[in-house]
Amino acid sequence: MSTPQTVRLTIDGVEVEVAKGTGLVEAALAAGIEIPVFCYEPRLGPPVGACRMCLCEITPGPPKPQAACTLQAADGMVVKTALTSAVAAEAQNATLEFILVNHPLDCPVCDKGGECPLQDLTFRYGPGNTRMTFPKRTFDKPIPISPLIALDRERCILCYRCTRFSEQIAEDGQLVAVNRGSQTQIATFEDDPYRAPFSGNVIELCPVGALTSTTYRFEARPWEIQDVPTVCGLCPVGCNVYATTREGKVKRILSRNHPDLDGGWLCDKGRFAYQHLRAEDRLRDPLLRVRRRGFEEVSWERALDEAERLLREAEGRIVTALSGSETIEQAYALAKLLRRGLGSHVAMLPEEVSDALDSLRVPLSAIAEAKTIAVLGDAPVVERAPIVELWIKHAKRNGARVVGEAEGADILIWCGPGGEGGARVARLAQQIGAKGAFYLPETANARGASDAWAAAADVEAANPDPIGLLIVSGDEAAANPDVRALAELAERVLVISMFHGLAAGWADLVLPGTSYLERDGTYVNLEGRVQRLRRTAIPPAPDELAWISRLAERFGVEVSPYPSVVFEEVSAIAFGGIPFGVVGERAELPPPAAAKAERLGSGPEGARPRSGLRLIRYRALFSGPAVERTPELQFQRPLAEVELSTEDARARDIRPGDEVTVRSNGTSVTLRARLNRDLRAGVVRIADEHAGDLQPKVELST
Amino acid sequence: MNFQQDVQKLKETYPDWHSAMLPALRAAQENHGYLSPEALRECADALGTTPAVCEAVASFYDMFHLAPIGRHMVEVCTNVACALVGAQQVLEAFEQELDVEAGETSADGFATLRPIECLGGCGWATIVSIDHHYRTHVQPDDVPQIVQELRDGD
Amino acid sequence: MATELVLAHARDRDLTKLAEYEAVGGYQALAKARGMTAQAVIDDVQASELRGRGGAFFPTGRKWAFIPKPDQNPNPHYLVVNADESEPGSFKDNEIMATVPHRFIEGCLITAHAVEASRVFVYIRGEYTGPYEVLVAALEELKPRDDILGGVTIVLHRGAGAYICGEETALLESLEGKRGQPRTKPPFPAIEGLYRSPTVVNNVETMATIPPIIELGGAEYAKLGVPDSRGTRVVSISGHVERPGNYEIENGTSMRSLIYDLAGGIAAGRALKAVIPGGSSTVILRHDEIDVGYDFNSLLALKTAMGSAGVVVLDDRCCMVQLGIRISEFYEHESCGKCTPCREGTRWMTQILRRLEAGDAEQDELDLLLSVCDRINGKCLCPLGETAAIAVASYVDKFRGEFQQHIDDGGCPFGDSSPLHNVLAPVALRTHSPVAVVPA
Ligand SMILES: Cc1cc2nc3c(=O)[nH]c(=O)nc-3n(C[C@H](O)[C@H](O)[C@H](O)COP(=O)(O)O)c2cc1C
Ligand code: SF4
Ligand code: FES
Repeated sequence: MSTPQTVRLTIDGVEVEVAKGTGLVEAALAAGIEIPVFCYEPRLGPPVGACRMCLCEITPGPPKPQAACTLQAADGMVVKTALTSAVAAEAQNATLEFILVNHPLDCPVCDKGGECPLQDLTFRYGPGNTRMTFPKRTFDKPIPISPLIALDRERCILCYRCTRFSEQIAEDGQLVAVNRGSQTQIATFEDDPYRAPFSGNVIELCPVGALTSTTYRFEARPWEIQDVPTVCGLCPVGCNVYATTREGKVKRILSRNHPDLDGGWLCDKGRFAYQHLRAEDRLRDPLLRVRRRGFEEVSWERALDEAERLLREAEGRIVTALSGSETIEQAYALAKLLRRGLGSHVAMLPEEVSDALDSLRVPLSAIAEAKTIAVLGDAPVVERAPIVELWIKHAKRNGARVVGEAEGADILIWCGPGGEGGARVARLAQQIGAKGAFYLPETANARGASDAWAAAADVEAANPDPIGLLIVSGDEAAANPDVRALAELAERVLVISMFHGLAAGWADLVLPGTSYLERDGTYVNLEGRVQRLRRTAIPPAPDELAWISRLAERFGVEVSPYPSVVFEEVSAIAFGGIPFGVVGERAELPPPAAAKAERLGSGPEGARPRSGLRLIRYRALFSGPAVERTPELQFQRPLAEVELSTEDARARDIRPGDEVTVRSNGTSVTLRARLNRDLRAGVVRIADEHAGDLQPKVELST
Repeated sequence: MNFQQDVQKLKETYPDWHSAMLPALRAAQENHGYLSPEALRECADALGTTPAVCEAVASFYDMFHLAPIGRHMVEVCTNVACALVGAQQVLEAFEQELDVEAGETSADGFATLRPIECLGGCGWATIVSIDHHYRTHVQPDDVPQIVQELRDGD
Repeated sequence: MATELVLAHARDRDLTKLAEYEAVGGYQALAKARGMTAQAVIDDVQASELRGRGGAFFPTGRKWAFIPKPDQNPNPHYLVVNADESEPGSFKDNEIMATVPHRFIEGCLITAHAVEASRVFVYIRGEYTGPYEVLVAALEELKPRDDILGGVTIVLHRGAGAYICGEETALLESLEGKRGQPRTKPPFPAIEGLYRSPTVVNNVETMATIPPIIELGGAEYAKLGVPDSRGTRVVSISGHVERPGNYEIENGTSMRSLIYDLAGGIAAGRALKAVIPGGSSTVILRHDEIDVGYDFNSLLALKTAMGSAGVVVLDDRCCMVQLGIRISEFYEHESCGKCTPCREGTRWMTQILRRLEAGDAEQDELDLLLSVCDRINGKCLCPLGETAAIAVASYVDKFRGEFQQHIDDGGCPFGDSSPLHNVLAPVALRTHSPVAVVPA
């Protein structure tokens, strides 16, 4: 019999026991039975019962087929699907007939063909022929609803998944249904582009070929592709993804739903920026500066000779600038070579993430259950860790409050400067007894890279003066103005980069880099979850670990070229010895560590300017080397806007859309005003690329 | 701006501001004559939502117009009860008198004529709604007089 | 025969004036109810056996009793009045609001007391400017009368032209500022209604019936009418009768006397052909099926219903295929577009019916029409699509010969002598989406 937590029901004669509150679709799945659905998608909120694909005969209930997707399993319920009920079979067949009445059946040229629920369900439950002899509804097609997404209204079956996503999940209110009845269609306002950070999810949600990706259109047929499970490396969330590959090339990125981490959503950067792999200025061969004139492509053998020479000539006076996008293995390998082999301990780390957070470790999904969430640090969450923003919205829909003060919060999130790598938010969280705390670093593997660097040696060293060699590891470091400034002081510069545009001009030796989609290894995300990256595409150059291993050999340092071996070594020092094999496709979050209160000093409070406004410059989500190399994403680049609080706007008589001049210390920029009710008074935000040379203290005027 | 304040008041009429959507759209339509993209943007700003959401809602309802209409709105009920006693002939009489096809606006922008579903006055058929005020028991012969009254009042 | 409770005194006095209404004992029932506990009022309404006048005929007292007590659900309770009357053939709520606004408001206030709601929303169809203005004036007159309002706020919320918003969950969506698409049930509005709070949705006439019930006492009220259909009903009669209009009758009055006595018989001395008994959503009756009581059980025996009590009378010139087209066009126009069978099916029905009327249909298309109806019926999210299918299928069922004749003759036997010939429906004007011709 059922227990207080479970119910027992019969589905097509099969008895199952499921947890109370389980939907019938899931209950049937537990019995190994399919209830076909189109509109049902539990991630989009409560079921809507729109498409009527899931009609089943259910007792108790009215004497007509019921939409199973809208019902929960109950004790003693008897469900008959099309397998055992003629009524259900007729109903499902009817639904498909109605859907197909106006469907163009252009399957041969449809991108969805072969992986289309409408095709599959028609095959299993649908009518074999058509009784429709009337003109079908037609629309102009396909129409771009943005540079990323094409809409074919004829194929649309009006399941309202996409519009529910836009309205209820992303809450961007941009993709909507207009008109009524059989004239209903999906649209954006005035054919404006669907410009929002999560727009691409609607492509995956669409159960037919109505919403397709412009970057994947006509690129492959489903039987020619392979989906490789990996992790996105473009922000510290580390969403789980599949890279769809064809002939060794990445053709698209899909979500690989990790319910605790990404909930099955991706941001548009993670989904579309894979095109940087094929950037025009992608480096394939090492480049060597020949006297003062320019660069020469050289062989890898020659490049390694040159690298060895640079390393030796520096005589230990080496500084390494890390990006935070290196895998743990890569960062550790580099550290081992430089620190153990050459005694060069000085590094510019992307950001040191405090292990004080470990005692407050909870999965991102815990945000959804929180009652009060404090978002601190003043930088926009969506720009730094987009999925976190979706979890916060989720929590709000569940009734949570989002506040700007730690007091009374059960989850704390720090996003912005002054966070001391999370130490500060951890301290606050412990003081008020919060359940969990997150620190949002700027780079994808800031934590993993710095932990790996630290694992190689335990020596503090003074900055070399002068710097004999600056090693710039990766594109984020190469694009960092502070690193560029340091290069001015260095005698020699070695750059590891994927792109000509980032490396040329200032390096003595350039070694081609690889992307997160081209490497095997591990990352640590902002929750503290160690996740596995896989090589999904063949890089045009050997990956970093391979050549570091060979270079290390020349200095008598043993570095394995295999990530698994390197990981075991570093894990023993820095990650509690978890074996590589355990960092599987669905990484677990280690349990929270015991609190180490004694290690928490009280850090300096972020200085507040006494007059004027504090400027938060931030790296926009849609910026950076990968985005810059994806033409279709350009429309998502940040607008030339300054974001300010309603209060500050009122005090200065600034209205939304007004042109305002932002000034500091003699420089100024003119931007449009955007008002944000949730922003603290006294703070303004501008995306880096529009902030010019503005200093932290600014004033505004119209 | 007045509209913003009006909408603010409407929002306060309800426990949840979303309920002010239809009244706000109605007010915007009254101000602009129809729900132009501009009107929808204004509505969205006042309500705190997007113009797309406003359009989604507006386009669901027959009384909202997303394209320009005439200075007067003439709506003839052609549902069954009215049709039984000659609504189609009334509609045609208006077509002739206004020199416009049903569903269209007269060239001079004077009036928009359209058939409409049951107006809830079946016992007093044919019902014609003129600028949202009902005329009952309308017969084709009454039409010239009605149109004249409209023109006189213009 | 005519028994007036809801419309009492309205013919000889101007009850839109507060003083006049009070002069005939207005708001006394409210005072009486406020002297009773909320539960006692619910009990009395249950004793009256009143069933909702909006169409679904659900027992009113029972609906109120579903509202969770404040200790079960702390959210505020709401009363939402369905004044969206848009069912073809029905125009009773229009007259009730326009002529007895205070009785209607009194019913709302009593109901608010019974279900412990302090806010009432009246969702009034957008086209009803007249009744709306009457209600605005009535509420204006009540403003200083706190003894009557008793702290209850009544908000008039105007619809914007969508029949589906009469369906209670679509109405709630619309009231929440969204597209008026029905929600799945459960949860029912009594548990999760407006703003996800416990909500009673009742029809205008239901509300206007409450004061006389409280005045008479539920048991006394239940002596009127017949079993399962107690009390009176305001019936809207239209179409081919001599004296169309609203008539308040005791439930159970015979249809024949309704048409021939109250409404004066068929206009111009013509012969009766058919009657739509309860608004466009109901199964049609042939001329020989009207010797039946106008009440729930009697009509159920004929597989039809009182619905919203809109009786549409058709004389012998009318073509049933044309009727089918016009009704199908109505539902196609009003389908909200949420669920597949209604959205696609009503459009398909219209297409087939047009072909039948034009005389282009093959024999199997008549069966196809019935099959499409059958495939809509029982599969939809809300009753709109279902009733469209039921109504149209009933025309075929009751007048099969006539449908057959369209096929056999290759055209309509009535042509333009039928008043329903070539009537322009709003849906026919939707031209912005072009159609493609499917290659044979
Ligand atoms: C398509 C459709 C339209 C409806 N239209 C109305 C209406 O205009 N007025 C009304 O009172 N009820 C209408 N109803 C019934 C309502 O859903 C609901 O049952 C009623 O308002 C409850 O009130 P009552 O119990 O007082 O009758 C409609 C139902 C459907 C399915
Ligand atoms: S039956 Fe029609 S009106 Fe009702 S939900 Fe379905 S589409 Fe909408
Ligand atoms: S899957 Fe149940 S109605 Fe769509």
